[in-house]
Amino acid sequence: MSTNSSYKGGIVIPNPYPPKEIGITQASLPSKVVLSLNERMTEKAIPCVEVGDRVLTGQIIALNDDYNSVPIHATISGEVTSIDDQLIPHKSGFKTQCITIESDGKDEWVKGHNSTTDYLKIEPSELIDRIRNAGIVGMGGAGFPTHTKLGLAKNCNTIIVNGTECEPGIMCDDVLMQNYPKEIIRGVEILLHICRADRAVIAVEDDKREALNSLLLYNFNDKITIELIPTKYTSGSEKLLIKTLFNKEIPSGGFAIDEGFVCQNVSTVKAIFDAVIDDKPLVSRIVTVTGSAISKPDNYEVRLGSSIEHIASISIPNNKYSVRMGGMMMGIDVPSIVAPISKISNCIFINYESSDIDPKECIRCGACNQVCPVELLPQQLYWYSKSGNTEKAAEYNLLDCIECGCCSYVCPSHIPLVEYFSFAKALHRKQTEEKNRAEIARGRFEYREFRIERNKLERAEMMNAKKKAIKAKMAKEKSQKDKIAAAMERVKKKKGGSSAQ
Amino acid sequence: MLYSVIIFSLMALFIGLVLGYAAFKFKVDGNPLVDQIDAILPQTQCGQCDYPGCRPYAEAIASGDAQINQCPPGGQEGVDALAELLDVETMFLNEEHGETKPKRVAVVDESVCIGCTLCIQACPVDAFVGASKVMTTVIADECTGCDLCIPVCPVDCIDMVEIMPTMRNFVPDIAEVASVY
Amino acid sequence: MHSNTLNTSQIMRQVIYALSVGVFACYYFFGWGVILQIVLAVVTALAIESCFVRLRGLPVKIAISDGSAVVTAVLLAISIPSIAPWWVIVVGVSFAIIFGKQLYGGLGNNPFNPAMLGYAFLLISYPLQMTTWSSDFLTFSASIDMMFNLSSVDTLTGATKLDQVKTQISLGSMVDSLDIYSVSQSWINAGFLLGGLYLLIRKIIFWHVPVAFISGVFITASVLFLINDKIYLPPHLHLMLGATMLGAFFIATDPVSSSTTPNGRLIYGFLIGVLVVIIRVFGGYPDGVAFAVLLMNIAVPLIDSYTQPRVFGK
Repeated sequence: MSTNSSYKGGIVIPNPYPPKEIGITQASLPSKVVLSLNERMTEKAIPCVEVGDRVLTGQIIALNDDYNSVPIHATISGEVTSIDDQLIPHKSGFKTQCITIESDGKDEWVKGHNSTTDYLKIEPSELIDRIRNAGIVGMGGAGFPTHTKLGLAKNCNTIIVNGTECEPGIMCDDVLMQNYPKEIIRGVEILLHICRADRAVIAVEDDKREALNSLLLYNFNDKITIELIPTKYTSGSEKLLIKTLFNKEIPSGGFAIDEGFVCQNVSTVKAIFDAVIDDKPLVSRIVTVTGSAISKPDNYEVRLGSSIEHIASISIPNNKYSVRMGGMMMGIDVPSIVAPISKISNCIFINYESSDIDPKECIRCGACNQVCPVELLPQQLYWYSKSGNTEKAAEYNLLDCIECGCCSYVCPSHIPLVEYFSFAKALHRKQTEEKNRAEIARGRFEYREFRIERNKLERAEMMNAKKKAIKAKMAKEKSQKDKIAAAMERVKKKKGGSSAQ
Repeated sequence: MLYSVIIFSLMALFIGLVLGYAAFKFKVDGNPLVDQIDAILPQTQCGQCDYPGCRPYAEAIASGDAQINQCPPGGQEGVDALAELLDVETMFLNEEHGETKPKRVAVVDESVCIGCTLCIQACPVDAFVGASKVMTTVIADECTGCDLCIPVCPVDCIDMVEIMPTMRNFVPDIAEVASVY
Repeated sequence: MHSNTLNTSQIMRQVIYALSVGVFACYYFFGWGVILQIVLAVVTALAIESCFVRLRGLPVKIAISDGSAVVTAVLLAISIPSIAPWWVIVVGVSFAIIFGKQLYGGLGNNPFNPAMLGYAFLLISYPLQMTTWSSDFLTFSASIDMMFNLSSVDTLTGATKLDQVKTQISLGSMVDSLDIYSVSQSWINAGFLLGGLYLLIRKIIFWHVPVAFISGVFITASVLFLINDKIYLPPHLHLMLGATMLGAFFIATDPVSSSTTPNGRLIYGFLIGVLVVIIRVFGGYPDGVAFAVLLMNIAVPLIDSYTQPRVFGK
């Protein structure tokens, strides 16, 4: 295995709020949790409890028959107080249906029946079902349902465990690897068994030496190796990580799964361990809380659905601050600090609002071209996105943009480039959908015209045929009448002739 | 003098042959302009442009009988796109033909429907499913929001419901993003 | 959430600092003329830009503070003779800002280098004033007199060294019999070279355009010199005379009007260099930097579309 076959682009960004030491703080039980039923990339879950029901921790409270959906679990025990629309962190700022549970303080768990240490005897398909039932999705930020990914991995030869945590400021994966190395290694072994892969690689950035050492201490499996890769932002992106580790480029529009690679975030791997060995569903995660408004950056193990406020203590609460969920480069702004934490919330940034520098015009300096890890031309994409010319932008490979934010970071005119690209991508999706709908409508309209014409013709033909039939009938009748008249004439003649004699 | 006459005659002959060959080889069947115009129109088939469908309107534009600003569902963007295609000045959408409304679909109130099938006959894209004396319903994915079924329903049981953007197909407002100066 | 690299206004300021070395060299040899021209140019540029930004309905302060108009003004003021009448620079800068920048939509939207557009306009409209250079050091009062035509000043004026050499060659002299070195021009070019290296080290400009430009000049001049060393100047002279270094580091590197892809920049710079020498030798003007840059500005969209880098995964 070769390392350091790096890709062009990407930036080395120092951690803006480095802590003196890092560890995990167990957050207290929240007083209530708000659990969204609309998980990313899956169908909406339908509640199977009602307002007023008492639920236990780990109990399934909503699910959907669609195979790709994961069930939603209660993350604390208590009473379901409402099932209504609540604000969740999302770019659109829309509300979505959520189940709110008030804690009874007891944290009573649902009984688990399937805990096992002998996972090697269990069929991979059953293990995948367990992963589904535990509600596990990609915890690195994408939220893709893990069981779907594993189910699609037909010819997997390599498992990649993404412990790079390349976005500066986030430490939750680092601290997980330092404190739970045994569970992670066991989780990787479970994945090796499920995917029937030959080898597994745990990728760690070279600024995380303690994590590396802690993993090495507990790794006795020949199939698992731990690779150090150069610290660089965007090295954690799946395709770029594969390029760095194996010098292989997944074709644009293709998937790593099809090339034999299964990539999972290290937090997801630990969740898989919990699900298979301890039969515990995914109810909590580690979240980094940092930012200029936080006096001591720290990592909290907190129940899903807790509000951000529950773990974020702001040093000077009266000053204006902004809340960001996710990293400083790819995160989204959250309008309120009471929004709930979800499975994909890896970090919360709380910054005192500083006066933003107004963006200036683009001077075509090309700095953005130099740092794009996918080797696009952000400058050209900017000009086309700005004018809504999604066709030309798509020609310049807009759809390959991973929205990493490297270009916005270096722009001397402070142009928010990534926001233009998100807009252009959304617009392109909408326009493509509209075009498809218009095609279908055109087709149906043309068919309807054809059908009406055809009906007319058929009717006309039928009328003609009927007319002919009547004529023929009348003609037949006429000939019949003629025969009768002729016969009667003959009879008359006979009679007349005989009477004349 | 003679040479120049000969040279120019030969050139004229040669160029004429080339043009003739091109006219023959690259001849296009039908009028592609109508197809191009039709590709821009939204295919709502509503008739607000005063033509019985999008294709007849496209043909009218191509032959010069209609203006490009008669299509409300296409909105101002549609007028601008047509102007660009035909290389003419763009115009404001002609409000006399109707106003641009957000995307809607028809929804039948099943408890009121009497199964008269008038809506099925009125729909230009056959988006209704039903039969005589049987309850009718709308295939939402096929409905173009043209409003032609509303006036014909004798019991007024059809509503036009606006399609709201969801988290999946949300498009951010570019004006908020682009605030230079 | 943003890198600590310089923003646009800071970049423009650094460019002006880098220019100061070459400007000092101009002052050292030719006196106060160049300083006065720069002052006049900057004042005119800011005034015209404010007017136009106000006409466009945008806030004036933000538009002016980015410093790009100042850079255009300084570059144009350096390019014209230091004893040109005051109205030459005023008209030139006005034309450059209005037609070279504001009418296209302001900073970032112009296809042509505004300073060079202004220079070309002036050269074609006022050929006499644009080709009469001073040969002496002029005092402050003498410069004022010459610029505002207050009284006749006793000084030597004439064409630039390049111009003189070209005329003499066309009259039949052989190159090795002429005095082709110009101390003042060499030092001025050296000053701009130093400024340019400073910009390179601070990563304000990328190396592609200057290196390609200088290579283009050197290679073309060498080819010609090898063909006939009697009527073509030696290549190193092309680098030391005229506006070569100014063009390489300050004019051709204008990011707005130059190519955007790395390979594109190499082609762009190289072809400018080639054109500069060709215009100098075979064209009707003594120095070809302005026209070479403008011609290549036209070719930029074509160069860009042919030099797109390969995208990851395709």
